[in-house]
Amino acid sequence: MKIALLYGTESGNAEMLSDDLMEELENENSCEVRSLGEISPEDLDTDTFYVFVTSTHGNGDLPAAAAEFVQLLETKQHDLTGINFSIFGLGDMVFSETFNQGSEKLMEVLLAGNATLIGERGLHDASTGEIPEDIAIPWINECLAALLQPAD
Amino acid sequence: MMPITARIAIVGSGPAGCYTAQALRKSLPEAEITVIERLPVPYGLVRYGVAPDHQGTKAVTRQFQRLFEKQNVSFLGNLEIGRDLTLDALRDAMDAVVLATGLYGDRAVCVNGTNLANIYGAGAVTRYWNGHPDDSDNAPDFGKTVAIIGNGNVAMDIARLLAKREGDFAGSDMDPSISDPDVNQIHVVGRMQLCEAKFDVAMLRELATIANVNCSLAPGDEIGDVESDIGAVARELIGKKAGASEEIKVVFHSGWDVASIKGDGGRVSALHLSRPEGAEKVLHCNSIVTAIGFGPNNDLRPDDFPGDATSGNLDHGLFATGWFRRGPRGTIPENRADAQEISAVLVDWLAKNGDDAKRGREALLEHLGDKTTNYNDWCAINDHEIASAASDRCRTKVRTINRMLKVIENARSSE
Repeated sequence: MKIALLYGTESGNAEMLSDDLMEELENENSCEVRSLGEISPEDLDTDTFYVFVTSTHGNGDLPAAAAEFVQLLETKQHDLTGINFSIFGLGDMVFSETFNQGSEKLMEVLLAGNATLIGERGLHDASTGEIPEDIAIPWINECLAALLQPAD
Repeated sequence: MMPITARIAIVGSGPAGCYTAQALRKSLPEAEITVIERLPVPYGLVRYGVAPDHQGTKAVTRQFQRLFEKQNVSFLGNLEIGRDLTLDALRDAMDAVVLATGLYGDRAVCVNGTNLANIYGAGAVTRYWNGHPDDSDNAPDFGKTVAIIGNGNVAMDIARLLAKREGDFAGSDMDPSISDPDVNQIHVVGRMQLCEAKFDVAMLRELATIANVNCSLAPGDEIGDVESDIGAVARELIGKKAGASEEIKVVFHSGWDVASIKGDGGRVSALHLSRPEGAEKVLHCNSIVTAIGFGPNNDLRPDDFPGDATSGNLDHGLFATGWFRRGPRGTIPENRADAQEISAVLVDWLAKNGDDAKRGREALLEHLGDKTTNYNDWCAINDHEIASAASDRCRTKVRTINRMLKVIENARSSE
């Protein structure tokens, strides 16, 4: 399967997690990792499974590159019918009011474009001290299982 | 083209230095990259400047850890350039040197009265709370009422950490023996109106939502009417809790200049404020924390070199990155972007100038080997700190260089 891991990052943590997910997936799939700043919505195709990984910054905002991607999606109102995606958010409950609002915004815009969410949005809370990969790797495997064996 | 095998040293292991190593490693898989640090332990501002209750922010060290564990970047600690080795000697040993020493000093307030006792710089206070060896003995005496001068994220960190009580520090690495329960009133003084304050909205939310904290605006002051996220959140959160029963009062003073500091028996007793149009007021306080920015505190400055600091290339084979290069502006992510930019400048320079086949790290270790610390030594300290964490803390830091070296010595001899 073709899998594209698309990240939005400010501090580099989401990029590192995307690299780790690629390492997990690349044996059995054809994978690439790219910044959301390097692609635009019309590049998305129905043959590829998209895994979005993004953090949240400032007042519940997306990282700059991810915010630009969302703005393109919103202004051009791309039809994303047939696009399958999963999404994982990095957040920090120290900032509880805006916890993981970045990944939520990105997910909502993708859903509004009629893309199909596979599995549930994965969430990491940095204040727990848990390692993001320890949560994201089982999560991505569940998403892939859900993608390959859709419920009736 | 031949792969570039240059020997590169980065001076400073804070975010600017480590992000530079990360960016260089991506472009130069074959280069010898050494991160040099004056302390025995790495990570600079992440370990000693980021507040101890912001462990999520500190988790960026996981990226840096990977540099040393998997990406063949070396850590060389307990080596101060200028003290143990001259910059010239380092440059002689390396094809390229990147200065990433940050800005360590607290900018001082320039008014009468700054010679009084109980005036502290925010950086030094944060280092004390974070167990930095330079300040681990410098316990501030805050008293019950503290005035914080400044309206940036550092001022918010200080206000929050003063307002928190022992139970609020679960999961942090704030040393339980040093949290200060006496402060019950915190004044935060900003030169701009609150709607134009520099701190992040999330920082204000975090402070205002601590259970026992009551944030209010000083009587007669205004948030201001400039459209801003910070203004909107200030209107939403400040002055909205029922008063009386709240333990800790945080009072925002919006749009005031510091006129002078008055003392009583050698220690601070009041902060005098004024406005350009002539209004004045007096805040009685037991201590003052200045949080108005950072500057250099050592001899090294970017403009001592012939090159243009804005280009990042200070001299032949000498580069600058992070706050050292561009001044005390921007958060950790902005230093990542900066590091990527300077890395590109350096790679470009190496491609044009070739490398001089310098001896690199080997030459340094020959003279300084016994004295320096390496990444394994840091791992020993890290393990020790985590193992000795107090009950609800994530670690208890080793606060002096002597004790760090002792832990390292024990670990080395038990190998």
